[in-house]
Amino acid sequence: MPIPSKFDLPQGTLDLLILRVVALGPIHGYAIAQRIQMISKDALQIQQGSLYPALHRLENKKILVAEWRPTDTGRDAKFYRLTALGRTQLRTETESWERLTEVVAMILQNPLGEAP
Amino acid sequence: MNWLQRLIRTARMEKELDAELRFHFETLVAEKMQAGQTEGEARRATRHQFGGLDQVKEDCRESRGTLWLVSILQDLRFGARILARSPGFSVTAIVVLALGIGVCTLAFSLYNIATLQSIPVRDPATVVRIQRRSPANITPGIPYASIAYYRDNAKSLSAVMETMGAPPLVLNQDEKRVSAAFVSSNYFSELGAAAATGRLFDAAHDDAASAPVCILSYRLWQQRLDGDPSIVGKSIRLGGKPATVIGVAREKFASLGADSPDLWLPLLQHSYFIAGSKPITDPDFEGLIAMWGRLAPGVTSAAAAQELLALTNQLRKIYPTVIWDHEYIVVTPGAHYLSFDDGPPILAYVGPLVFLILAIACANLGGLLLARGANRQREIQLRFDLGAGKIRVFRQLLTENLLLGLLGSVAALPLSYLVLRIVLAYTSAPSWMSALPDWRVFLFTTAMGFLAAILFGLLPTIQMVRRKKNRAFWHQVVVCAQVGASCVLIILAGLLVRATLHTLYSDPGFGYEQVLAIDPGMGEHGFAPAHAQAYLDQLQNRLRSVPGVTTVSVAMSPPLVNTMIMSTSIEVDGHRILIYPNWVGPDFFQTMRIPLLRGRTFHNGEKNAVIVSESLARQRWPGEDPVGKLWEKSNNVVIGVVGNTRAMELNNTDATEMYYPPAADNFPGMTVLVRAAGDPNTIMPTVKAIVASVDTGLYPTITPLTTGFRKNVAQAEQFTTIVSLLGSVAMFLAVVGLLGLVSYAVSQRTKEIAIRLAVGANRAEIFTSVLRRFAWPVFIGLASGVAITAGLSQILRRGLYGISGLDPISYIGAMALLIAILVAGAMLPIRRAFELDIARILQSE
Repeated sequence: MPIPSKFDLPQGTLDLLILRVVALGPIHGYAIAQRIQMISKDALQIQQGSLYPALHRLENKKILVAEWRPTDTGRDAKFYRLTALGRTQLRTETESWERLTEVVAMILQNPLGEAP
Repeated sequence: MNWLQRLIRTARMEKELDAELRFHFETLVAEKMQAGQTEGEARRATRHQFGGLDQVKEDCRESRGTLWLVSILQDLRFGARILARSPGFSVTAIVVLALGIGVCTLAFSLYNIATLQSIPVRDPATVVRIQRRSPANITPGIPYASIAYYRDNAKSLSAVMETMGAPPLVLNQDEKRVSAAFVSSNYFSELGAAAATGRLFDAAHDDAASAPVCILSYRLWQQRLDGDPSIVGKSIRLGGKPATVIGVAREKFASLGADSPDLWLPLLQHSYFIAGSKPITDPDFEGLIAMWGRLAPGVTSAAAAQELLALTNQLRKIYPTVIWDHEYIVVTPGAHYLSFDDGPPILAYVGPLVFLILAIACANLGGLLLARGANRQREIQLRFDLGAGKIRVFRQLLTENLLLGLLGSVAALPLSYLVLRIVLAYTSAPSWMSALPDWRVFLFTTAMGFLAAILFGLLPTIQMVRRKKNRAFWHQVVVCAQVGASCVLIILAGLLVRATLHTLYSDPGFGYEQVLAIDPGMGEHGFAPAHAQAYLDQLQNRLRSVPGVTTVSVAMSPPLVNTMIMSTSIEVDGHRILIYPNWVGPDFFQTMRIPLLRGRTFHNGEKNAVIVSESLARQRWPGEDPVGKLWEKSNNVVIGVVGNTRAMELNNTDATEMYYPPAADNFPGMTVLVRAAGDPNTIMPTVKAIVASVDTGLYPTITPLTTGFRKNVAQAEQFTTIVSLLGSVAMFLAVVGLLGLVSYAVSQRTKEIAIRLAVGANRAEIFTSVLRRFAWPVFIGLASGVAITAGLSQILRRGLYGISGLDPISYIGAMALLIAILVAGAMLPIRRAFELDIARILQSE
C-alpha cells in the first residue's frame, strides 16, 4: 500500500509543481520528489506512482525533454529539463494558479451572507 | 517521436523506464542504509513504500500513448490463440468469409480490369476518346473529314489517332475469317508499341497509293500461321487482295477500345481492301471511324472538349450537312478496356447480387458467433470478475472478429485470383490482362474484410459483452436475413435456368434449322441501291435453281445472325409497345416458316404495305381485325398478320414484330436467306460456288442459322452459370449458418430434451418445439426474399428472361428447395441430441 500524502493535490497541480522544480535546472525523478518534499517542509510527499506517469506524460507533450547522464554518485539517471514550450506552460499555469487562489481566497475571506 | 517510432523503440523505452525507476528505488535504499538500516530492511521498506512497480510502469506506458497499439497487438496475439484453440469454428468461419469476400473480390477485380485499370500503353492518362453528341443523336464515330480538320487545327491535342472496324475478311483461302481493324499510321507509335518481329506502321503508310501492307496480331501469327519466323515480307491475301506483312505486334499489345483484332490495316488503304468503299473521301460516309487523341501537355479533357466544340462550329460552315444541330464533343479517358459510360449498368446488375452473398456470409458468421458466445460466456464472465472493463473486453472481442475478417480476406485473394485466371482463359481475354491483384484489389479486399468483421461481429459482440441471456431475438434476425438473401439468389438462379431451358427447348416461332444466311457485305463495298438490287435478284434466282433449295428470300435483319438490332416503340393507351422492324422480301415468311395468320404477304416491289405480328396486332387493335387499317400516321396499309417470333432477341417475349417491304435504300444492307429441303450442309458447296461467281469483288459470309442460335444460347448459358454458381454458394452458406444456429439452439436445450426424452415424450414433438422459434423468421425471410426478387426481376426482366419474372415454378421450386435444405440442416444436430446419453446429461447439470 502506498503511504497516503498528507493532503490530496488538486487535479493538475502536480504538473505545475514538477514544472516549477524542473525550471531550476536539469534534475532526475528522485530529486524532483525530494525537492518538492523539502520545499513543502514534508507536507507533500509525491508518490512514484503519480510522479513518473506525470513526467512521461509531460515528456510526451514535449513540455519536458530528458537525457541520461551520470549523477554525483556515478550512476546514470534520467535528467529532465524544460523546453521552450515548457517555460511558456509554466508561466501561464503559474499565472492562472495565482489568479485562481486569489479568487478562491477572496470568496473564502468574505464573511458569510454579506454582499460586498 | 511519433507513435510509430515510439512503437519501434518500445524495447529501448522499456529498458529506460526500468532503469529510471530502479535508480529511484536504489537511491531510496541507499538513503535508508545511510540512516542506519541494514540492506535487507531498507529494501523491504522501500518496496513497501514504492507500491506495485509494475503498476507504475503500466501507468507510465499508458501516459506515453503507445499503449493502445501495444494492447491491440496483445489482443491480436490473444485472438489468434483463441482461434487456434477452436480450429473447427475458425476454419468454418474463414471458409465462409473467404467465399463471401472472394465473390466480391472477383467481381471487383473484373470491374477493375475492365474500367479502372489503364490498358498498358505509353502514358495512358493522356489518351482520350473523342465522340460527337447532340441532343438528338448519339454515335461512337466521327466522319473522317471532321477528324482531319480537328487533327490539323486542334492545339489541345498533341496527336490524333483513328480506328475503324472492318467486316470479317477471308484470309488466303481459309474458311475461318479474320477480324481486322483499320488504324491511322501513328496508331502504334503513339501507343508506344513495339513489334514482336518486323516493324509497325509509320508515316510512310499515310499514303493511299503506297503498297498495301498489314500488321498481324501475335495471336493470328501463332495460331493461323504457325508462328512462321520468316513471315515478315511475305504476301497474304485478305478478302482476295494481296498485302505484304510488315510486322507482328507483341503478344501483350493492348489495342484501344474493347476489340482485339486479328490484324491491322492502314486506314488510308481502306478502299483498296474494301473495294468501292469511301470512308476517307466521302464526308457523308456513314461508317464508324473512332477518333482518339493524346492531350497536349497540361491540357485537361474539358479544355480539349471546349476547343473541339469551337472547331466543330467552324466545320459546320464547311460541311453543313455533316455537322448536326447543337453538336458538341465529348472527351473521355481512352486508355481503358471499357469506358466509364459502359460501367455502371453492369455494376448495377452484379453489385447487388455479389453483396447479397457477402451479406449471407456475414449473417452466417453472426449466427455462428452468437452460438459460440454461449460457450465463451464463462470465459468472459471470468474476465469481468478479474476486473476487466466492458470497453476492454468489447475491444478484445472486436479485435478477434477483425482478425477473422482479415484472415477471410487473405483466403479470399488466392480464391478470387484462381477463378479470375480461369475466367480470363475461358473467355479468351486479351493477353495483357492479368489476374494478379493490384493495389485497388488489395485495398478493396481488405476493406471487405473490415466491413465483414463489422457486419458479422458487431451484434453478437455487443450481446456477449452485455451478458444478455436471451439471444433469441438476434438469432431470429440472423435467420431471417440469411434465409431472405439466399431466397433471392436461389429464385434468381431458378428463373435464369428456366429462361435458358425455355430458350433452348421452346419454339422460337420460326424454323431456323435448315436455313443459311448469306451476307454479301455490299454496304461496306459502297454498292449503290440499284446495283445491290440487281445483285440480289441475280443471286436469288441462281440459288432457287439449286436442287435441294426450297425457298430463297432477303431480309434486312436476318434472325439470329444479325449484327445490329433495330427497335422502335409506339405508345398505346399509355403503355409502350416495343417493336422490332424488319425489311423483308415476299418469300421471307415461307423461308423462315413463320405462319401467315390473316391477309397476305407482300407482292414483288410492293410499296405502302406492312405486315404485323399477331402480338402487335393484339396490342395495337385489341379485338379488331387489323387488315386494311393504316399504320400510325403513315400511308402504309396493314395487309397481313403473321405469327409471333422471338427472332431478334431469343429471350424477349415482350417484343412484337413489324415487317416492311424493302425500299431502295435497304438493298445494300440486305442478307439472303436460303432454306434447304434437308441438311443445309449438303447444299453448302453449291451455294458457295454460286456466291463466289456472282460478283468476284465480294466475299459474302455464309452462316447456318443454327450457329447463330447456339451463340445466342451460349451467352444466356454463361450468365445462367454465373448466377447458378452464386446461388449454390448462397445455399451452401445458408446451410452452414442454419446448422450452426440449430446446433446452438439444441445445445441450449439439451437438458430439457433429455428430461422430455426421459419422461417419454414423442420425438417429433420435441423436434417441432425446438424448431418452432425458427419458423417465423424463416417465413418472414422467405416472404421478403420473394418480394425482393419480384421487384428485382422486373428490372432484370428485359435482358434476361424468356419467361415471366414471376414464373411460379421458379419461385415455388426455390422455396421448396430452400425449406428442404433448411429442415435437413436442422435435423442433423437434433438427431445428434436424441442419441445423447440421457443419464449423463441430467447428471452433469
